Amino acid sequence: MKCVECKFEGPVDKFRYMYNARIDASLSIRQCPNCQAWLAVDELNGTSKEKVGLGEAPWGKSAGIEGLAAD
Amino acid sequence: MAKAAVDNNIKELEKKQQWWWAAEKKRSKRLDYLRKAMWKKGAIGGIYPAGLQVDLEQGILHTQAGRAMEMAPDPWVVKYAKIFAHYLDNKTIFITDNSQLVGYVGSLPHTINWNPTVATILNAEVITDTTALPEPLDESLKVINDVIAYWSQKADADKLIPVADISDVTKILSGTIGWGVPMPRGGYSGKDYEFIMTGKRGFADVIAELDEKIDKADAQAHEPIANLEQMPLYNKMLNWEGMKITLEACIRHGQRFARLARIIAENFETDNKRKEELLQIASCCERVPAQTPRTLQESLQYDLFIQLFSRAEAIEGAWPSRPDYYHGPYYDKDVNIDKRITKEEALDLVGEFLIRAAEVSQYKPKWLREGLQGIEGTWVWTIGGVNQHGDDACNDMTIALLQAARLVRVSNPTFGFRWHPRVKEEVLRECFECIRQGLGYPSMRNDPLLIANSLHWHKHPIEEARTWVHQACMSPCPTTKRGFQSMRMANATANCAKIIEYVFTSGFDPVVQMQIGAETPDCATFTSYDQVYDAWLLQMKTIFSTLVRIVNYSRFVAQIYTPRPFLSGISERSVESGQDVNDPSISQGNSWITAFTWVENIDSLAAIKKLVFDEKKYTMAQLKQAITDDWQGHEEMRLDFVRNAPKWGNDDDYVDSIMLKCLRDCAAFSHKLQDPMGNTWPILPENVSGNIHYANVVGALPSGRRRGDALYDGGISPGPGLDKKGPTAVLKSCSKIDHITDGRAFLLNQRLSPTQLAGEKGFPLWKAYMETWYNLGLDHIQFNCVSDETLRSAQREPEKYQEVIVRVAGYSAHFVDISRKTQDNIIQRTVQGLVA
Repeated sequence: MKCVECKFEGPVDKFRYMYNARIDASLSIRQCPNCQAWLAVDELNGTSKEKVGLGEAPWGKSAGIEGLAAD
Repeated sequence: MAKAAVDNNIKELEKKQQWWWAAEKKRSKRLDYLRKAMWKKGAIGGIYPAGLQVDLEQGILHTQAGRAMEMAPDPWVVKYAKIFAHYLDNKTIFITDNSQLVGYVGSLPHTINWNPTVATILNAEVITDTTALPEPLDESLKVINDVIAYWSQKADADKLIPVADISDVTKILSGTIGWGVPMPRGGYSGKDYEFIMTGKRGFADVIAELDEKIDKADAQAHEPIANLEQMPLYNKMLNWEGMKITLEACIRHGQRFARLARIIAENFETDNKRKEELLQIASCCERVPAQTPRTLQESLQYDLFIQLFSRAEAIEGAWPSRPDYYHGPYYDKDVNIDKRITKEEALDLVGEFLIRAAEVSQYKPKWLREGLQGIEGTWVWTIGGVNQHGDDACNDMTIALLQAARLVRVSNPTFGFRWHPRVKEEVLRECFECIRQGLGYPSMRNDPLLIANSLHWHKHPIEEARTWVHQACMSPCPTTKRGFQSMRMANATANCAKIIEYVFTSGFDPVVQMQIGAETPDCATFTSYDQVYDAWLLQMKTIFSTLVRIVNYSRFVAQIYTPRPFLSGISERSVESGQDVNDPSISQGNSWITAFTWVENIDSLAAIKKLVFDEKKYTMAQLKQAITDDWQGHEEMRLDFVRNAPKWGNDDDYVDSIMLKCLRDCAAFSHKLQDPMGNTWPILPENVSGNIHYANVVGALPSGRRRGDALYDGGISPGPGLDKKGPTAVLKSCSKIDHITDGRAFLLNQRLSPTQLAGEKGFPLWKAYMETWYNLGLDHIQFNCVSDETLRSAQREPEKYQEVIVRVAGYSAHFVDISRKTQDNIIQRTVQGLVA
């Protein structure tokens, strides 16, 4: 897998598994061993999709009627 | 700014749901000062915030007193009482500017109190946790080393561990199956409020009762003809003496505050209004705790003193209390009858009482802080409910507490509201406002059902059961002579996800490399679901027994090794009998096993039953391999287990029947597990933030989680995002559980949309939902009402959202004080839409 941030390449399990914010999605968060960036990783095909920053949720909004809840 | 402009500004802020900014403008200047002057003590993701310091004073004073009495002939209970007295007599005291209530658990407002007499394993953590030690560091380390060395082998746990079952101790200290250590002075102490808080006696009155007891026993002990009745008297007299020493020290401590307030008022204060307030403090502390309170201020001060004294004696992880019930009569007298103070002044005092409680902090090890991220302990105060005759007990103080909570917006204490059909709409509206304004509390409790539950499990008489308070987050416990629970040790807390994990490892724990559970057969050989379930049952019984056994033992020996003279002195059963408050023979018993990470078992068993045995898509050997590999390389299979197996919380009988079977087998086992009082050990599913603490301790599960993923948020709450059939389906699933006979209580987290609850339509919508909840017979529910948008913004710019509060599990916390994993876990909870 290649880190989208620093381009470091290595097997998926070298990227430290952090957690899966949504158990029913294949997207998890792993940490690049080189640049320490948090990456959204598709566990089905072992690719890093994007860097996960503060307040970002690549797995989408909460289930239910969250769409209603604009501030 | 003119009043009209301020009012408009507040309205505008409320419309935008910027509750913190609105509260800041609504509260008095005094309250605003006190709220902002408060040091927030909750550990951020498990680490103490910068600026806080571990307080070395108690360690120094306790060690001084211990050394001075080294050769004294006093038995331990008397020595301990004298150590306690020495501490209170010499402890640094201060009065916060603008305050009307005084007393703090440490020597300065920014300190975290450290009691060195509880466990060397705790003390050792103080010395390694150098981020919160006072400067100069070398000096602090020298003092701490000295204190640790002195209390080594004298601290409670040091005395208990060598005489307990070493195998059980090792399993518990491994940190895998339980949470906490079995210490009679480290957990949750209930109080005999019916004895000490009903205005019938102050501490001086109790001392007079003790004197009478001692004189009578002394005369009996010296009767000319020796007899067997004399034998127990010697111990009783020592216990009474210990109680008396501590109560006298408490009175002197109150008087120190009175003197300090008077000295400042008469010599230093130039502001007349403040001078008056200080003299009022002096008068208050001259009165309490020695005598019974006469006013609301005295009543609140008396209560605060009791809590602080109890924390001088023990590490208190909870704050069981019922402030509207016990302070309500004083509120009524001051505001409605005597008109001594206005409603606004009373509200101010109540707000200050919340702030004084919020700042209390005692040192806890990191694993405990991780499990209680953002708070200091579960101060869940009980309000509402019925009185001992079954009539509505809500009063003006109930309303004042709910209104004050919205003004000061502290995340701890929180409230648990005892809902019953006769609660007035005015009170319910106040509860709703707190929830809508994002406090996450009060949690709502089904009062009639929980009273019936107390009768069923612990056989409390109904008049006593009706006095119940939250012993910690969830469990009801009476406030009466035999009924109150003097110590609930936190380690009867099961990390239940280990039950299903051990089915796959034959009881061997892969994290700590130890055999902890039962050696059940290799699950790869199982050919039926019944075999899986039988293994699950045996693992459950093994884990629960390990936890219960050592708590029972600690409770049996508590009176010898870890007496509590102060708590005994404010408890009728001890004052009357001369026995330590933890003596099982004078207590009814109110034990329970807290079941952390419970629902993982249900979703895992349902997935195994459906995919392995019903549909035969996989073998147990394949599943065991995937679990051993932490699902790595088995992502499609993992998603199958998540997406195509029934999940709890969707009104699906397939999985709901598994929940019932598991709970009922546990309930049957709970009747066999006896506590030292001969009572039962029912389970109580809830979590605090143990779901995050245990994320790296629990391996992969058939529910589809990997090691590292947050566990479900607890109790009987469905997995985040897995309850897809709406709020009524959640309630229906939960209502299949018998909330009286299947366990002690069941925590349910729900998330609601702030937009839906906005405006006039919000209350009727919520009330209708609550009526469904009540009619379906659930015992608990609590709400988060903050949008994804706000929470994501708080992640991006935490400095702008310091005051956003969320409900974590049995408690609330400031969102910015919990870890990113916990934050994401909360955001992923389903936002339920209510139907009109």
